[in-house]
Amino acid sequence: MHLWLSALLAAVLAQPPAPRTIAIDERLAADAGLHVGDRVVLAARAGAPGDTVVVAAVTRQPADPADVARGEHHVRLHLDHLQRLAGYENRVDRFAVATRGAGAEQRALAAIGRAAFGFRAYRSAEVAAGTSRTFEVVRRFHRAIGVITIVASAAFLLCILLLKVEERRRDVAALRLMGISRRTVVAALVLEAALVALLGSALGAALGWVGAIVINAHYRGVYRTPLAFAVVTPGVVVLAVSLSLGLGAVAGLLAATRLARTPPLSLFGR
Amino acid sequence: MRLTLALASLLRHRARTTLAVLGVAVSAALLLDMVMLATGMRESFRELLLTSGFQLRVTPKGTLPFDTEATIDHAGDVLAALRADARIDRVSAIAGGQLHVLATPQRHAANEGAPLTTTFALGVDPAVQGDYELQRGADITAPDRLVASETFLRVANVRVGDTLDVAASFDPQLRTYGGRRRLVVSGVARFLFAPAADPVVAVPLAELQAMRGDEGRDRVSAFMARVRDDAAVEPVRRDIERTIPRVTAVSTTTALVQVERRLSYFRQLAFILGAVSLAIGFLLVATLVTVSVNERVGEIAVLRAVGVSRRHVVEQIVAEGLALSVTGAALGLALGVVTARYLNTILSDFPGLPAAFAFFVFRAGAAWRALGLLVLAGVVAGVYPAWRAASLPISTTLREEAVG
Amino acid sequence: MTAPLIALHDVRRSFTLGGAAVDALRGVSLDVAAGEYVAVVGPSGCGKSTLLNVVGAVDRPTSGIVSIDGRDVATLGDRAATEFRLRRVGFVFQRFYLMPMLSARENVELPMAEAGLARAARRERARELLAYVGLAAREGHRPAQLSGGEQQRVAIARALANRPALVLADEPTGELDARTGAEIIALFQRLNDDGTTIVVVTHDERLASAARRVVHMQDGLVVDDGRSGRDS
Repeated sequence: MHLWLSALLAAVLAQPPAPRTIAIDERLAADAGLHVGDRVVLAARAGAPGDTVVVAAVTRQPADPADVARGEHHVRLHLDHLQRLAGYENRVDRFAVATRGAGAEQRALAAIGRAAFGFRAYRSAEVAAGTSRTFEVVRRFHRAIGVITIVASAAFLLCILLLKVEERRRDVAALRLMGISRRTVVAALVLEAALVALLGSALGAALGWVGAIVINAHYRGVYRTPLAFAVVTPGVVVLAVSLSLGLGAVAGLLAATRLARTPPLSLFGR
Repeated sequence: MRLTLALASLLRHRARTTLAVLGVAVSAALLLDMVMLATGMRESFRELLLTSGFQLRVTPKGTLPFDTEATIDHAGDVLAALRADARIDRVSAIAGGQLHVLATPQRHAANEGAPLTTTFALGVDPAVQGDYELQRGADITAPDRLVASETFLRVANVRVGDTLDVAASFDPQLRTYGGRRRLVVSGVARFLFAPAADPVVAVPLAELQAMRGDEGRDRVSAFMARVRDDAAVEPVRRDIERTIPRVTAVSTTTALVQVERRLSYFRQLAFILGAVSLAIGFLLVATLVTVSVNERVGEIAVLRAVGVSRRHVVEQIVAEGLALSVTGAALGLALGVVTARYLNTILSDFPGLPAAFAFFVFRAGAAWRALGLLVLAGVVAGVYPAWRAASLPISTTLREEAVG
Repeated sequence: MTAPLIALHDVRRSFTLGGAAVDALRGVSLDVAAGEYVAVVGPSGCGKSTLLNVVGAVDRPTSGIVSIDGRDVATLGDRAATEFRLRRVGFVFQRFYLMPMLSARENVELPMAEAGLARAARRERARELLAYVGLAAREGHRPAQLSGGEQQRVAIARALANRPALVLADEPTGELDARTGAEIIALFQRLNDDGTTIVVVTHDERLASAARRVVHMQDGLVVDDGRSGRDS
């Protein structure tokens, strides 16, 4: 019995340890043709001997805008495994700390600041703000382009409304000759312009919504990310409709006022 | 007389003509900016990469230059291998790291505190380097010399000639500095690949490697290689990757492709916005000319009645569209250059972007082609309404105009 | 006996108006000699203006021969008809139809510019013509700055720009008051006295009676060609 147990123990001790496991992201799995259960060799440097590991999971990266254009692959290892492979020994790059309870965050920040010399604890929001500079630049750029586009559209809109209102000059002349006041005529034309602007806004919002779908589908495919690139929010729709209505009404008012001031007989070409 | 008639027709309604010209000008400006954006990034980056004539960058496998903290070890062997290739004219090894400034003639770091300032440091061989252009002072021809950017001088509050107490590493737990040296600021340089807002210094490569101890010994961040014959760049690149498998060799072309991929969003945005601008310009001119023609059918019928040919009527109306487009395009050129500068200052704020990189680059040929396209669109926009006008039945039109 | 300047033979013109077929001219035959001053009168819708348009090659007849100075203009293509109108015919319209953005002189120059006359020459002639119609002092004025009568006189000057063989006028006094109309009538008289062949369509009895020959039309036909009972 003892002999049998000893032999079993020896057999168990003689077996090589089970390979460590890693998790890889979807992009790496697709690019390298890997699946769960596949064995790969992992090393800290190209050409160096490494560890044989098993792919235990394929993960989906969260939609991180900072990663979008980089096209990187991500591998997750157990901490001690990476430390050993990379020669890090007992080192880490950072700690992520979750706190519990009201006020715990501030207390934790203070405690870490006191206890760990030369280290600093940051709130996640501070880190996010600091690493968001790229997107702040892109936001400002988009806003500048938006302003330029609005100026071009405003000139276009004003010109078109001027033309369309002037096409109606004989109608306006007839109304004025009938005794309809300037104010009524202008109000009617402005209302018409505003209605056209409203209809145009509705169409534009629908086009924008469809456009956002197309943009997201395209760039998600290009960058292989679940990130949303274009989002049509209620706020965006309200802004666009307000701008459009405002521009349309102002353009209509300018054009109508100009026409209403002209003597009716002149409008008939006499 | 046709041009006189065309201009007189436009000046008859100054408000709408002014608005149309303004609309075309803004469209032209946006189109020009988008053309500058689409071609500018590529051109600017290509010029940047070729500034010192190095067509190849050799980096740790799978990385772009200074994209990660990875380094090439046994750098001496790699350098020797590159120099042994007769097709390669010059090789520059570069190591990157941090340098902590502990003391300047004006200030000292507090005993228990962090360094005065920390800067990015390049270790280079000044004889072959391609990373900076010396603007004043002397180059780093001695081990204890340091060349700095203007930003570094400002941040550290030092001048050329000052001696700095620096260190290559700082252990915040033990509060000890490693690789300490006393270096003299010998010159000021413009660092080609560094962001303007970041402080940067350059020290002799061997010195930086020694300061970094084990972490820096025989390690570099990248090599730059200049190939004698441009036609041999791609074969040399392939051979480097084949013979030294632990590195990636990136040619200017490859680097451009990779950067374009990362910035493809801007290229696509440029294309879409450019197309939209062209469409707006076209629609504006087409609408204005069409409405203008519709208002003047009587006059046009009279012109035909008194013997003006159909062709000349078309020419006159097309001339109106042309005048609008040309005036708008000319204004748009000036406006576009101004807005491009503004947009470029916005995008230049991208973190990590080399100071010498520009998103919007003006190329006369591309600009003329773009604006020429807009002018052509304006001409085409006038053709259809012009032809319709010229084809009106004269007597019917005259009768309808008399009744109207 | 010389051939007539205008010779119409069985000219018909039909067109569709609001879905219904309209026979504006139902077989008109008419001769006008060079130097004649003819008024065409008739009730509204009798085809007078259509007749004028056919003679002036502004409109093409459905059938028939329209001979102007020996040339059948009914068969002319658009280009040839345009050229014909430019050089052989001068039109005067009821509503003047001056180019509002051009000055009086520029309006008169317009047909000459089209005919390829050099700038100096056409400017000279335009001034002569404006002097002829009594508007020498108004050459730089735009139509909006001229009275109705003055505008019509500029239109007449324009019609004479390329020394046409024939002046066709459609209700030239229709938009004018009596006094101004009388001035225009006098001007036509003078034109004819100077040798210009004039055909005028009018409701204005004074204008009709100033003409040397009155052609009556009704329902698309000439019912009285004005030659019967007159010395030819």
